[in-house]
This record gives sequence, structure tokens and C-alpha cells, in this order.
Amino acid sequence: MTTADGVTVPRTSPRPNAALTGGPISEGRRRRRRAENIRGWVYCLPFLIAFGLFLIWPTIYGLWMSFTGTSLAGTKTGFVGLANWTEALGDANVWTSLANTAVFTVLSSIPLVLIAMGLAILVNVGLPGQWFWRLAFFLPFLLASTVVSKFWNWMYNPQLGLVNTVLGWFGITGPAWLQDPSTAMISVVITTVWWTIGFNFLLYLAALQNIPDQLYEAASLDGAGRWRKFRSITVPQLAPTTVLVLVLQLLSSLKVFDQIYQMTSGGPGGDTRPVLLYIYEVGFTGYRLGYASAISYIFFFMIIIVSLAYMVISSRRSVKA
Amino acid sequence: MTRRSMLQGLGGLGALGATGSLAACGSAGAQGVGDLAYWHLLSGPDGVTMTELVDGYTATDGAPGVKQTVLAWGAPYYTKLAMASSGGRAPDLAVMHAARVPGYAPGGLLDEWDLDLLGEFGVKKEDFPELIWDKMVVDDKLTCIALDSHPFVLYYNTDIADAAGVLGSDGLLLPTNTPEDFRELALELGAKSPSGYGLSWGYLGDGSNQWRMFSTYYTQLGGTIELPEGGTMQYQEELVVQTAEWILSLIDGEVGNPGNDGGTAISEFATGSTGAFYGGVWESGSYRNEGVPFDMTVIPGVFGEPAAYADSHSFVLPHQSSPDEAKRRSVHEMVAYLLKNSISWAGAGHIPAYSPVVQDPAYAKLIPQSHYADAIDHLVYDPPAWFTGSGSDFHTYFGNDMQNVWARRTSPLEGWNAFVARINDLLAKPSPM
Repeated sequence: MTTADGVTVPRTSPRPNAALTGGPISEGRRRRRRAENIRGWVYCLPFLIAFGLFLIWPTIYGLWMSFTGTSLAGTKTGFVGLANWTEALGDANVWTSLANTAVFTVLSSIPLVLIAMGLAILVNVGLPGQWFWRLAFFLPFLLASTVVSKFWNWMYNPQLGLVNTVLGWFGITGPAWLQDPSTAMISVVITTVWWTIGFNFLLYLAALQNIPDQLYEAASLDGAGRWRKFRSITVPQLAPTTVLVLVLQLLSSLKVFDQIYQMTSGGPGGDTRPVLLYIYEVGFTGYRLGYASAISYIFFFMIIIVSLAYMVISSRRSVKA
Repeated sequence: MTRRSMLQGLGGLGALGATGSLAACGSAGAQGVGDLAYWHLLSGPDGVTMTELVDGYTATDGAPGVKQTVLAWGAPYYTKLAMASSGGRAPDLAVMHAARVPGYAPGGLLDEWDLDLLGEFGVKKEDFPELIWDKMVVDDKLTCIALDSHPFVLYYNTDIADAAGVLGSDGLLLPTNTPEDFRELALELGAKSPSGYGLSWGYLGDGSNQWRMFSTYYTQLGGTIELPEGGTMQYQEELVVQTAEWILSLIDGEVGNPGNDGGTAISEFATGSTGAFYGGVWESGSYRNEGVPFDMTVIPGVFGEPAAYADSHSFVLPHQSSPDEAKRRSVHEMVAYLLKNSISWAGAGHIPAYSPVVQDPAYAKLIPQSHYADAIDHLVYDPPAWFTGSGSDFHTYFGNDMQNVWARRTSPLEGWNAFVARINDLLAKPSPM
């Protein structure tokens, strides 16, 4: 420990005069502190065991597996070096599914942030029956992904579905939404936006209600109009929430799996297959756990690179500010 | 799967849960053999029928209890079975699709059946049709015991067919031997169908159903497919194109709806708005419940001998590190019982694999079952490989690449070549089994 004037004092004596008061007290204190430490660790133990068993160990074991030919069917071909990794880097399906994940993330994150903010602002301006809008926007989020997928599948059904029936009233022949390569991904995105927007909406609504009224009052006194107040008060005040929502959204969009597996199983022709679905296919229906692990790690490293880039950019920006 | 059969499946699952626990109670006092653990993928009406059969067995003298575990059909089922078997703590008995067995067996995931022991319970090699027996033996070992075969067939609405004048004096669909004849017949059906379509075939988003249709006509044309490990896929390109063009002519917007998914095709036929429907025999239960007047036939051989794409539910012994002799004996006894009583299994549309049941006069009285029983002479299974069979990646990939062909977005050869490239990728890698 280093004090302000640069004198180094022993760690065990928190105060400079501790040495003067003699050994026994500091000895007792040390013992008590150790007991407290042990108690603390014991309280943490259940969590640490679960954390180690279900997160740390699988992460390490997965990395090891990526260097082996481990198969789900139990046949082990042992250490294969970098074979899985080089195969994965040369596998076109890895790259197309990574691209699909990226496309899905971009297409879904933007509306999930902007529309959520828009809905929250609309509800917050004092629409009558606020509880109803809050409920209506949040309710879909409570549904299980299976339920959401099933009924959107029926709505997108090319012959019997609601979407094409409604389009038919206007004389438009709708496409086979989930089976047409040009509409499949966007259809899944629309479903996802409808399903998960409630969560972001709620975060924004809470943030809006935390903006002090005085700010708006003061601005009004200065003659600011609605748009001016929105731009100069609401948006900046929401900035921390926007960062939070965006980060949470990117993370959840990157790990998209359920609704795509259930709605298109990655089709048509692999056009909606995200990388996690490909990993699942390779590992669990193709039995090649070793290879699947290698792809998982490639995806993992890419997320780390993106996160680092984000951190560097945002820290540089805050330095400038 | 229709919504109706889903609901029935849920009901069936409830019933299974109940009987499972009852069986567990009943067997506590039985002579030492513990409950048999039995995994299968039969839900819906099939699950109910299976439960009745199993209950029949457990009621016989000295039978142990049977604990059924029903898992969803498709890839996850096989994943779980493989994991259980590789861990050596597998169930005592499981159901697999026969076409998937060749992929499983070489890896040591399945134990061998004892034909002598089955013989003791009255089941012999001669009791199975040749095409099915061939599927049961893998690498000279009796690896699975087929319960049935469930071919891909043609359903037709008897009222519409009658109105169109395409029924013979025996009340059956008139035979058609050439593509032109068949098209003519389909158009006549369409003329009398409310939707104007003679045929219904659902393919969107359903790789398996696309493969069933393709495999049926490709085989009729004499096409074959081989999947040598470490090599490349062997096939006849000319016949592939011919098959694809023929299928396209059936969904040209004149004979059939050009953009059906499975659910739509089923509902078209179930509501009596189309004349005929291509589908697996397992849909027959739903149609009977709907009350639509229908009959079924083997898909006519318009290019030569008829062919019926099929798979078989079959019994396997998942590998156990130290199998219990008494349990193994009970399992043989149980399977023999199920085979001999599979007449009730025929109710669901499947053709029992155990010939004495099909040859029994009682089976001839089952209609429409007896009208397509000749399919057992024309069965075509998936080409053997570790990645083929019902619900396999092979079907998924076929659907992924060929759907664009059926939807007229790419040419047949373009779609096919993309599919072949993916299969060749799989062949190039060592089998993980």
C-alpha cells in the first residue's frame, strides 16, 4: 500500500500507528478478518461451484475439444491439432452463417432501438390509457419463442396466412414470406421486433419518466418548442439508456437461434441460418462436436474483437469529450 | 404435422405419462425383471396406438412393466439416442427409422438382435418381406426389427374421382401407365374439384416431403444414388433433370398449386377442394377424422415399375455396456408380441412389416389399408450413409437447395448441383459414427 506522500506501509497495518499499539490487537484483528474472509467464501461457494461447473469448465473443455475429433456418438479420434480450425476457416457455410448472423443483428437492432424509443415517447406524451399501451407493447415479450414462431408461421403461410389474405384484399399477391430467399430474413426480423420490443420499450419508458420536469419547464420559459426540447433534452437525457439498450440488443441478436430454428430451420437454402444454428447442426445432428467447438470459438473471438473495438472507440470518444 | 394431430399428440402424451406411472406401480412385485425402459418418437394417434399395444403386452403373464419415454420426432431424438448409447446407459428398447440404422450400427451404438430368441417367441426371418429384411440386416448383423413400412402414396377423393369418371368398376382409381395418362387423369380430377386443382403436394419448408416425391419418381425412372464414404455422390444426371421437370409439371398452376406448404396441401385435401394428394400413409388418420371420402393407392408407375418411397419404424437395442440377460429376453418377448399384434398398428395407416398380419383375412377387410399394401413390393429407402434417413440432414439439405427449383427460382440442375456439393462435403469428411 502506498500512501499519498509515497511512504510504503505494511499491508497488515492499515493505520501508521498500528505498530505502536503492539502485536496482540493486530493479531486478533487479523484472525477475525481471516474468519470473515472464510465465511465470505463459504457464502459464495454455491455460486462458485455452479459457475465453475457450468461456465468455466465447459469453456475450457470446449476449447480442448476444438483440437480433437470428438464425436457425439462417442468415437474419439483424439488430438487433431489445428485441423478443425483450418477446416472451419475454409468452410463456406461458416462464413455465410456468420454473415447471416451479422445481417440479422443489424436489421433487428436498429428498429428494436428506434421503434422502442418511439413507442416509449408516444406513450409518455400522455396518450390516454397509458396502462393499456404499456401492456400491449410489453405483452408479446412474455410469450415463449415456440408460441411466437408457431403463430407467425401461420400468419406468413402463403395460402392461408393472415398477411397474404390482407394483402389479397388490396389485390396484392404476397410472396411465400418464409420460403422466398428475398423475404425470409426480413420476415424473421419483423417477428423478432414484434416479439422482443417490449423490453427495450420498458427501459426507455422508465428512463423518460426519470427526466426531471424542471428541465422542460426551464426550456419552455426560454421559448423552446417541442422539437427543440426533444432534441436538446430528451435525446441527451436518454443517451445512457440508449447505450445500455444497444449493447443488450446486440448481444441478444448475435445469439439468435430459437425463432429461426422454429420458423425456417435456417432455410431457404441456408439463407436465414445464423452461425449458432450451424454450430448446432454440425455438433448435434452431424455429431462432430470437435468441429462445432472450433466454429464456436471462432465466433467467440469475433465477438471479443467487436467488443474491444467498441471499447476503444467509446473510450477515445470520451477522452475527446 | 397438422394442428389437429398436434393436439391429439398432446392428449396422447398425457395418457402416456399416466400409463407410464401405472406400469411402474404394477411391476413392483413382478418376478425380478425391472421395468423396461422404452424410448420412441411416436406421438399423436400413433402414440396412442403404441400405448395400447404396450399395455396389451404388460397385461400378459409374467411380463415386466414398461416405462415409455416419448421424444419429439426428428434430429433431436436421434441426438439423444446417440448420446445415451455412447454413454452406455441406453434404454432397453428404442424405435428408430430403419433408414437411419446403417448410420448408427457401425459405430457400435446398437446391439445385435438374437434371432434364435425371437424364434422362441414365434418370429422368424420368413415373416418379413424381402425388401424390409434387407434393411434389418446391417453388416451381416440383425440390427433392427421392422414394425412397419410407411410409404409415400397417392390419396384421392372418391367423390371427386367418381364425378370425374376416373374410377373403375371396382371403385378404384383407374390405372395410368404413362406420364400423359396421369396428367390427363389429374386434369379430369381438377375439372371436378372446387379449387380447380387435381393434385395437392406440399413442399415449402419441408425437405423430407420434397425428397419423398423426388425419390419416388427418380426410382421409377430407374435412377439410383450411391453415397460412398470418402468418394463423391453417384447418380444419373439426366434422370435427375427428368424427374425435376416432371414434378414441376405437377405443380404448374394448372394441375396443382405451385406454392403449397405441408399444412396448406393437407387442408386443401381435407376440405375436399382438391382431387388427390401426395403424402405419407400416416396422414390417413387425420383425413378419416375430417370425414373426407378418400381412398389410397401406390403412386402409379408412369415411367415403369411403381416405386414407393418409404421408411420403417423399427426396434433397436441401443448399446448397453452390461446388458441384463433377463431384460434382454423380455425385450425380445415384447417385440414379438408387438409384431404379432400389429394389426392395430395398421389402423394408423402403416403397413405392418410382420407378414402373417398382412396376410391375415382381417387385414384384407381394412380399407383403404389393403388397397396400398402392394407397396411392400416397391419400397425404396434412403441410400445408406451416416447422414441419411427420416428427419436427417440429407433431407434438410435437399429441401434447402431444391426448394428454389420447385418455386421456379433456379434451374433443376443448378439446385441439384448445390445439393450434391453439400453431400460431397459430408462424404469427404470421416464419418463421426
